[in-house]
Amino acid sequence: MSELNATKWVSDYGDMLYRYALPRVNDKETAKDLVQETFLAAWRNHDNFKGEISEKNWLFTILKNKIIDHFRKASTRLTDNLPGVADEDAYFDDAQHWTMAKAPQDWNFDTDAPIVRKEFYEVLEMCKGKLKETQNTVFTMKYLEGLESEEICKELNITASNYWVLIHRAKLQLRECLEKNWFIQ
Amino acid sequence: MISCKEATKYISQREEGKLTFHQRWQLWQHLAICAVCRLFSKQNKVIINTMPHLYDYNDALLTQSEKDSIISALENS
Repeated sequence: MSELNATKWVSDYGDMLYRYALPRVNDKETAKDLVQETFLAAWRNHDNFKGEISEKNWLFTILKNKIIDHFRKASTRLTDNLPGVADEDAYFDDAQHWTMAKAPQDWNFDTDAPIVRKEFYEVLEMCKGKLKETQNTVFTMKYLEGLESEEICKELNITASNYWVLIHRAKLQLRECLEKNWFIQ
Repeated sequence: MISCKEATKYISQREEGKLTFHQRWQLWQHLAICAVCRLFSKQNKVIINTMPHLYDYNDALLTQSEKDSIISALENS
């Protein structure tokens, strides 16, 4: 243990772990706590660290597990807050076709082109932050963590049908928010 | 003919290969005549492609006092 230097560890890896956690859990305090728990778990288990992967990758692996744990714990709250029908009403009319007010507009943008502007990602994070917690959690697990829907349903203890409604609604809202705040201002 | 609401939901399910042959055909038919859902489908790709890069462009930092409190938690553990 003596060769470990807490100050060096935290200054080398603290910010990068925090940056990874923040857009996923969407809350500064929670992100900071997860980073601290990650360092503590790594600190206590350092004797088991085999050096087969870099120290950095090892810390990220621990953090990713902590994030999934966090979602799993939060899922008991999620089940109280599963989707009703009403939220999608504004997007679609009685015949379930787009309403005039909410129909996607042409962004006049090559949607295959990569976006490299930092300001865009600030808008994206802001829009993602506006999702309800339930939507944000499934959306993060799917599109940031890259998990499959079956795995997400299992971790969060929700049905496939709930999952698809949550993803659908998250996409409708995110798309609209990006349109209003970035593509067509 | 499926509705726009169903078509936009199918678009997400298609990403994971969750549509039956019949549903894929229904979606194809819908997109062939619905320009608005075609826009949704293209814009959906922007969301999917940019989301993994949120981390790359994030420059949030822990404050020094937050770092100090983590350091002391480690040293006292």
